[in-house]
Amino acid sequence: MVGKNHSIEGEVEEQGQPMQRRYVVRPKFCQFCSDKNLIIDYKISDTLRKFISEDGRIRPRRQTGTCARHQRILAREIKRARHLALLPFSGGTWEEITH
Amino acid sequence: MRQYEMVVIIHPGLDEDAVNQALDKIKLWISNAGGNISSQEIWGKRRLAYPIQKQSEGLYYLLNLEMNPASNMELERNLRILEPVMRYSIIAKV
Repeated sequence: MVGKNHSIEGEVEEQGQPMQRRYVVRPKFCQFCSDKNLIIDYKISDTLRKFISEDGRIRPRRQTGTCARHQRILAREIKRARHLALLPFSGGTWEEITH
Repeated sequence: MRQYEMVVIIHPGLDEDAVNQALDKIKLWISNAGGNISSQEIWGKRRLAYPIQKQSEGLYYLLNLEMNPASNMELERNLRILEPVMRYSIIAKV
């Protein structure tokens, strides 16, 4: 008789640990205030693209550091660009949907 | 008189004549309403961020114009009816 010890290894669940909030460094200045040459315009969709998330949503101020005034203008111009199909409304790129 | 910026997206499947015809029509409406076009920009064929009328591309035209605010409504109504125009936007400049 060969004694076997079946030890159940692995699958140690790490649930008891407290959730750790990751610290994300956020920009503390408004890009449009510091750079007056950077204009917010619906025709320049490349600039606006930095301020939308991957799925097309407008990124919040707490992520981008934009001041209240410029965030307002930014939101307006993004919506104008969306109407003209320069920016997506939501969801991934639509090639994925159609193909 | 007020400064406006107008962008029209025209159906990409049309031939050149039909596109020019549509643009001439728009310009005629503006001039008939007492407005004038100060400049025009042709962006050309661009990819759309999402399909419009099952099309993946569109012909973009930008017009800078001057017209009476009162004639805006009529122009918009005409644009909505015009077949080759897939999308338009008229924005007052600040």
